Amino acid sequence: MKSKSGYIIGKIIELILTLLVVSLLVFIAFSVIPGDAARVMLGPNASDSQVELLRAELGLDKPLVSRYFSWLLGIFTFNPGVSYSYSIDVSELIAQRLPVTLGTSAIAMIMVIIVSYPLAILSARKPGRLGDQICSVIGHVLFAIPPYVASLLLILLASSVFSLLTVGNYVKPSDDFFGYIGCLLLPSFAIALPKIAMSFKFLRSSIIEQQSSDYVRTSKSHGLSDFKILIRHVLPNSNVSSITIISIIMSDILGGSLIVEQVFNLPGLGRLLLSAVQGRDFPLLSGIVFYIAFITVILYFISDIASSFADPRIRLK
Amino acid sequence: MEQKKTKNRSPEASIFYTAGLIFLGIVVAAFIISLFWTPYSPDATDAASKLMAPCLEHPFGTDNFGRDVLSRVMSASKYTLLISGAGVGIALILGTITGVLAGYYGGIIDRGIMLFGNSIMCFPGILLALVAVAVFGPSVGNVIWALGLVFAPTFARVCRVGTMEIKELDYITHARIMGVKPLRIMALHVFPNLTSQLLPATVIGLANMTLFESGMSYLGLGVQPPDASFGKMLSDAQAYIRVAPWLVIFPALMLVFYILGLYFISEGLRVGLTKGGKR
Repeated sequence: MKSKSGYIIGKIIELILTLLVVSLLVFIAFSVIPGDAARVMLGPNASDSQVELLRAELGLDKPLVSRYFSWLLGIFTFNPGVSYSYSIDVSELIAQRLPVTLGTSAIAMIMVIIVSYPLAILSARKPGRLGDQICSVIGHVLFAIPPYVASLLLILLASSVFSLLTVGNYVKPSDDFFGYIGCLLLPSFAIALPKIAMSFKFLRSSIIEQQSSDYVRTSKSHGLSDFKILIRHVLPNSNVSSITIISIIMSDILGGSLIVEQVFNLPGLGRLLLSAVQGRDFPLLSGIVFYIAFITVILYFISDIASSFADPRIRLK
Repeated sequence: MEQKKTKNRSPEASIFYTAGLIFLGIVVAAFIISLFWTPYSPDATDAASKLMAPCLEHPFGTDNFGRDVLSRVMSASKYTLLISGAGVGIALILGTITGVLAGYYGGIIDRGIMLFGNSIMCFPGILLALVAVAVFGPSVGNVIWALGLVFAPTFARVCRVGTMEIKELDYITHARIMGVKPLRIMALHVFPNLTSQLLPATVIGLANMTLFESGMSYLGLGVQPPDASFGKMLSDAQAYIRVAPWLVIFPALMLVFYILGLYFISEGLRVGLTKGGKR
């Protein structure tokens, strides 16, 4: 597939196929949950006929295949049904919690880029010297700290030393935007730390690798300043793998935010997920899981397409 | 036979190996010792000595039930090692078999396996493990299976790429012409050459699995009380964080040591196995 559009179409087909498989996986996984949802809702004292009535109402008595398709339809129209435990529309529940999860992920991603890029560039300029060594070692250590451990340690630090940034109080963005950002800062930082280390390490080695290549030497000998070489040539060439790494980091950040929300007591998707798990809440659970997977698939898809633009040779492979 | 790359014993690699082995060694030593002896029983509650700061009798302090933290930490290390080790084992077996098959046969088998594998990789790992454990119940066995499943696609990818490279080599072609059965080729010729690529992935896999497992234990979906695991200890410790920071610090430290040790070893492998490796 040498053409741009051919490649993109191929990727779109792959996207749809992957989503289908994902949806199948999600659906099958949740259909085998032991325990009948209707009975769980009504309690052990309900009579059999009541349970049957509820099952018919919820559509649980239809054959598996038709349930799959009606669920699939619901998912794609953003209406996966009503939550068992909360009795509200699943989409409403998710929409409430989305700002938190998306907010932390976005802030974390911004932190990663802002910190790791300059550090990586600076380190790569003088590889092996003291500044570089220190950064690398710190990077290695940070890499090993799980985000929720980092968050615990940060809470310790923040509350005992600083008494800043109150933990545990969530402010809605509609009430007070800066307060909202403020209470998300610490959690985002906790999530971002190991990813900063990962991104820094990777960028740095990528830049160093570029610097020993011929075209850099040639440009230098032509008198092009280091800075310009960096901006115009080195960075764009490392773009391809950067994009891949960034998409991996983004999906990691999404996953990491799930646990960190617990630590900081933020009302995000993670908490919702956990309560859905405990309540055997099939619509809610499948909805959240599918949408998160959906976001990830789209992310990978975008990064694939972006890579093919950054380096057209990819399309030929 | 293709020359196996020998480990380059450069001084840089040695530093990493040493550092890694030291960190790792601490955790492994704790585990081994815990099999025979712990200062106190990890479950022994002692109401009289609740929440004591580190002292001579309790070098790591005690928790809110009066249990000695050092003993608990030592006993918790076994779950970390067990779960990450068994999980990686499962991921390796599943991933290698599917990866080699996909790489060797190509075509529709390859596309099918990769589609399936990519779908699994679309879920943030934690999510998948959480859901699997939620559906089937929180137990050590389920955690191991869930983690193994989540990491298998990564190993499959490594094996697939490696297999596709090796497949083109002359001696493989010769073997095929001679009529050697494909299974034999895959097992005896392709697979041994994959080990050098699988090794770093395994080490990183161990580390990542520990991260996931401790996260799940933190959420209560992993190792169940009264058994100790680092994640669970941390979640219990959170309520007491200002009064008794040692409850957080020591399990966290052990966890970080294990992961750090593994990362250093993988760095050593990377530097050692690539010529003129860049740090």
